[in-house]
Amino acid sequence: MTSDLPLFAARLREFISICESEPECFAPGAEPALREHNDAEFNGFALVLFARQFEHNSPYRKFCESRLVLPDTVSHWTQIPALPVAAFKEFEVSCLPRAERTRVFYSSGTTGQQPSRHFHHAESLALYETSLLAWFRAHLLRQPASEISNFDWLILTPPTAQALNSSLVHMLESIRRQLAAPAAAVVGRVAGDSQWTLDFERALTALHAAVESERPLIIPGTAFSFVHLLDFLAEKNLRFSLPPGSRVMETGGYKNRSRTLPKTDLHALITQRLGIPPSHIVCEYGMSELSSQAYDRVAGDEWRGTNSGSVPVPPPPVTRHFRFPPWARARIVSLETGREVADGQTGLVRVVDLANVFSVLALQTEDLAIRRGEAFELVGRAELAEPRGCSLLAAEIAAP
Amino acid sequence: MNLPHYFIADLPPEAVLSAAMITEACQTLKRNREKYLVSRPTQSLIELLGGLAAAWRQPEFSFRRLALEHGPAATGFSRATLAKGLDGFFAQITPQNLHALLVQELGHARRLDGLVSTGPEEISCRAATAFGPDMLVHIAAGNLPNPALTSLVLGVLTRSAQFVKCASGASFLPRLFAHSLYEADPKLGACLELAEWRGGDVALETALFAEADCVTATGDDETLAAIRARLPAQTRFVGYGRRVSFGFVARGALSGTNPKKIVSLAAADVVAWNQLGCLSPHVFYVEAGGSVSPVDFAALLADELAGCEAAEPRGELPPGTAARIAALRDIYEVRAAHLPDTRVWKSSNSTAWTVVFETDPRFQLSCLNRFIHIKPVAHLTEALQAADAVQGQVSTVGLAAPEHEQRELARQLARWGATRVCPLGRMQHPPLTWRHDGRPPLGDLVRWSDLEF
Repeated sequence: MTSDLPLFAARLREFISICESEPECFAPGAEPALREHNDAEFNGFALVLFARQFEHNSPYRKFCESRLVLPDTVSHWTQIPALPVAAFKEFEVSCLPRAERTRVFYSSGTTGQQPSRHFHHAESLALYETSLLAWFRAHLLRQPASEISNFDWLILTPPTAQALNSSLVHMLESIRRQLAAPAAAVVGRVAGDSQWTLDFERALTALHAAVESERPLIIPGTAFSFVHLLDFLAEKNLRFSLPPGSRVMETGGYKNRSRTLPKTDLHALITQRLGIPPSHIVCEYGMSELSSQAYDRVAGDEWRGTNSGSVPVPPPPVTRHFRFPPWARARIVSLETGREVADGQTGLVRVVDLANVFSVLALQTEDLAIRRGEAFELVGRAELAEPRGCSLLAAEIAAP
Repeated sequence: MNLPHYFIADLPPEAVLSAAMITEACQTLKRNREKYLVSRPTQSLIELLGGLAAAWRQPEFSFRRLALEHGPAATGFSRATLAKGLDGFFAQITPQNLHALLVQELGHARRLDGLVSTGPEEISCRAATAFGPDMLVHIAAGNLPNPALTSLVLGVLTRSAQFVKCASGASFLPRLFAHSLYEADPKLGACLELAEWRGGDVALETALFAEADCVTATGDDETLAAIRARLPAQTRFVGYGRRVSFGFVARGALSGTNPKKIVSLAAADVVAWNQLGCLSPHVFYVEAGGSVSPVDFAALLADELAGCEAAEPRGELPPGTAARIAALRDIYEVRAAHLPDTRVWKSSNSTAWTVVFETDPRFQLSCLNRFIHIKPVAHLTEALQAADAVQGQVSTVGLAAPEHEQRELARQLARWGATRVCPLGRMQHPPLTWRHDGRPPLGDLVRWSDLEF
């Protein structure tokens, strides 16, 4: 029934590999003619996928119909109805028949809330992995393959066996597997209350080993895992000067799992306790409902401004701009009108992710961001009371 | 806006407040109270307050003009919303109402002036007088000016020195009112202080609480508990916690030509102060079986809110608040696309107003700012069962019902725990004599002295 989708997935993987082999063609500063070509190509992909998903994904179809948008009426990818991410909580937003679903990723929402569910099977996972690996490489590992093998890994998330339903854990596991980093120290743990904690002793061992071997360390983790680690180091009064080239991938969200720090403070602490400079701290923006991620800088690279001039723009002290890969695009839409905001204005992030082949390509997130050209600066998330969640009521009643 | 520097809140924003400043301000207030306020007859204070409130309702009154001119930027409310809100509030501050309040609360209008007896006291050979606190401190919440303004009015009646601590960013209207009091009566004004800081500043608040005889506070339960825990044992505490409100429309109210009127009253409750007060409705329960069905009521309300937006715009919201509305609308629209029991009406190209109809009767907190839930019920009992999650936390129920049913419905609501039942359309405009959250507003502030003869 859905044989056209695997075909699409195969074409997209081909496209991703072209993007990987010719990154300059897809750079934001590309020639106008090339940009136009890229736009047309993206548009072509998106319209085809929209029509297929409209056919195979009944919750999405009903949503589009309620907006009076049909594949026939759409001529540009920006017109494709963006399904609110909340729909993943209440409906099975998938093109996969139930029998074909082999894996599900849950969102890591606040306790007590129903999580989003993003269903996968072998093929959709393979595409997810292709997509995530390409863009991770482009931002964390812009080194020749020979150098990549010189890195050691300290992964702050739990091993897959303990967190089968985490898309982030799956992401880091596939990176570890595909980059042949079997020796990676995976030091996250899932505690009895299903909260994520760290095996601090193993983390310390990995940090000491990196310093002794002088091999740079790659440390991916969530913001709250970094807080746990940094608080532990502060408590023990430990500071590390990790070998040059060491880097961090930090992905947002605290979800009440640690104290909350402004990003600049967190990064300053990382520099202070681990000796990793801000130029090597890369932030990732992703969610279980998507199959592609955005990053806000290239590790160790000069600041990549959002203007297209050839003169590098010096980094402003705080601002970091997120960018999706060529096979996904974000637009920042007005809270009031739903239309794309002007540069510098605040709105909600709306993503069209071609790698979401077997679910929904166009998603309306609840994340607030400022538009910076074709990139964006993350501001925060709309704080939502879960409708119908009366158990949370007492805590949420507005002050008089 | 250039106001003279009478109050701490008039200092430039970069001014740093210290505990010593707070202590000194309180001691000055107490001295001024002894000099200027203690021996003022109640009647003169009633006349002063009544006259000032009447002035506030005059278009040319300078403080009103300042409020309407600078208010939209300072408070986020549109000019029209501010004008209506202020008019509604000041219309209540009349000499008659102030008099009625004293009689209701203290049994006698001159109770605060000296020993007096009511009829029953006379018979039992007693007389009594009451005293307000020397130093009354108010910890005001941020949303609406009304609670802070009411507190100030009550404190003037009790002849207390008063210190109003406003939430950060929320001092604009209380400050204008305090200035208007100062201008009307500088001696009385010298017994008032206003300051603004982010709640929980232990140094400033410890200094403030040390000087207080009585502290009133509005806020969430945690805030109130934290304040109470830090007060000296002999300091009286009057806390007003979180409350929610809803409306109930009986089927009998929706007959003949009435529905349109009822709908417009319901819209007025949603629009007043942009629904941000404890007295604003989160939900309207509509009884099924009337000549207008609950879903039609929702559609009519949407039309009415669209009309209100033209006359009385909601005003701009900070991005986080607008995002919440946008995201919630999205959720309900997804449901509406799938389930016939959910419907959404909304302003186009803005987040100005939203009506969500759901057949699930469970009480739903609104994200406010003119976002209202409509739920059908078979009868009031069903509505009260559906609202059990907020039982004990409901302030006001706006009621639309045929006259012969009103008493019985109000009795049920009172037994269930609602502390105020009022006609639809008046939810945000309680009378001055309103027993705030079921407590005596003036009675909770005073200390009595009895004489037996």
